Amino acid sequence: MSSGDSYLSKRAGGMLIAPLFVLLLVFFVYPLLLTVWQSVYENGFTTRPYEELLTSTLFAKVLRTTFDISFTATMVSLFVGYPVALHLSRQPPGRRVFYLMLVMLPFWTSILVKSFALTVLLGHAGIVNQILGYLSGDTLHVTMVFNRFGAIVGMINYLLPFMILSILGSLLAQDPNLARAAQVMGAGAFRIFRKITLPLSMPGVIGGVIINFTLSIGMYITPALLGGRKDMMVANLVDFYTRQTLDWPLAAAIAVVLLVISGVLVALLGRVRGGSGTMGAMA
Amino acid sequence: MTGRKLSRRLSFGALFVPVVAWMCYLFLLLPSTIVFPISFGNTKEMEFPPSEWSLDLYRQFFNDSAWWGAMTQSLFIATVTTVFTAVLSVPAVYALQRARLPMSSALTHFTMGPLLVPVIVLALGLYLQWAPWGGLDRNLTLVLSHTMLATPFMMISVGASLRHVDPALENAALIMGASKVRIFFRVVLPQLKSGIAAGSLFAFLISLDEVIVAYFVTGPETETLPVKMYSAIRWEVSPVIAAVSTLLTVVSMALAVALMMLERKQRSE
Repeated sequence: MSSGDSYLSKRAGGMLIAPLFVLLLVFFVYPLLLTVWQSVYENGFTTRPYEELLTSTLFAKVLRTTFDISFTATMVSLFVGYPVALHLSRQPPGRRVFYLMLVMLPFWTSILVKSFALTVLLGHAGIVNQILGYLSGDTLHVTMVFNRFGAIVGMINYLLPFMILSILGSLLAQDPNLARAAQVMGAGAFRIFRKITLPLSMPGVIGGVIINFTLSIGMYITPALLGGRKDMMVANLVDFYTRQTLDWPLAAAIAVVLLVISGVLVALLGRVRGGSGTMGAMA
Repeated sequence: MTGRKLSRRLSFGALFVPVVAWMCYLFLLLPSTIVFPISFGNTKEMEFPPSEWSLDLYRQFFNDSAWWGAMTQSLFIATVTTVFTAVLSVPAVYALQRARLPMSSALTHFTMGPLLVPVIVLALGLYLQWAPWGGLDRNLTLVLSHTMLATPFMMISVGASLRHVDPALENAALIMGASKVRIFFRVVLPQLKSGIAAGSLFAFLISLDEVIVAYFVTGPETETLPVKMYSAIRWEVSPVIAAVSTLLTVVSMALAVALMMLERKQRSE
């Protein structure tokens, strides 16, 4: 439809869109602006919260922990998720729907349920330790929850579907004739993978890595429930300063740091895949 | 490369991928399915497999008005959130695609905003916003916060649906003398049914499972099931959580299956 014959006037359109925009202004834009404001204004402009963050050993430690955990969880998701995406891409469409269901059903399960179940599975009396105990004649027990390992396993469990879907997207977009042509010309399966499949899937890989890392650094529930008390992540620190010490400007400053980092990552993602890529992976 | 080397590599590759894939499917499925058998165990300790089977944990759940109340509260909040999200987003999508608004692409991107900001940042912002005004522990605050979180999903689902609707039908109705309101309700809306249904399932699931914002803006009067579960897992770890988890998982999975079937139907249309 060309712009001339649109039967909906700009004014009518504006009225239809206005209620949603009021909601987003009050419940999305304003809270973000307020957070930034709180971090720089306490009875006058101040840089106190940011100075405190720069000198705080706790914040430095939490930031390092967050990056360490996020990096490990993202990399493991990549190396586990890639073969899974490959497996999915090689299925006939009917069977792929079934396998995708195995990925999507847990994806839609509450993160609380998954974290709770993992504390039971990995706990002292959990199945993993039961198997280890059985195999080792009751000598081997590994502590797998309430420490960094537990937090990372829980995060990988949450992150894998995002990685798989991102990589799957760029595997399915490839022209199968390329691989076929290479095969006819005598290339082996591994060579085809290394020279064709892998390079062409890089946008999906990079997109998946950025999505996973962005989600990781903001994670709150999984580290709180599966991680150790010492392995606090940035999001948990925000809660700590908001509720425990009631230092709202400091909590706001940490949130701003998190906002800036994830903003940079999202902008990067936009450059890698174009605006719609982010949403495609979420939906 | 010799034939033997090739076949060995092939078989390694051919085996490696499915083995890793299946282990991964298992790893993904195990946590959300293990709560089913655990929930039929006894009330004293959590076991897998349970040493004796019973419905005691469900009895405990339904006899405890705190748990029961949190569940009805969550269902209520999720229902109202779904209605709000649909009522606000459907006209907005329609206007963005049909009204030739200035900067409509920038406006569309703006509605995706809540998807791109870490939830903890939004949770803190909403807390800072409502705490001084006595707006915490209010159903309206929680519902509107959840509506904000669910908006991008509704916009995507309905937007995809509307893109498949031929504007010629609307023009035909206009020429035949139908009013704009009538066109919207009788011509456009019926064709958006599956998009709105999918968006509503998203909105309901997001609100039902949402913990972080709810944890920041609710209080004793408005506590939702996920918030109660979060504190319970953190501080008391009672086996009744297994029953709660199972109920929540059944609802989530039913909605997720409905969503996937809707998406398949939409794609084939």
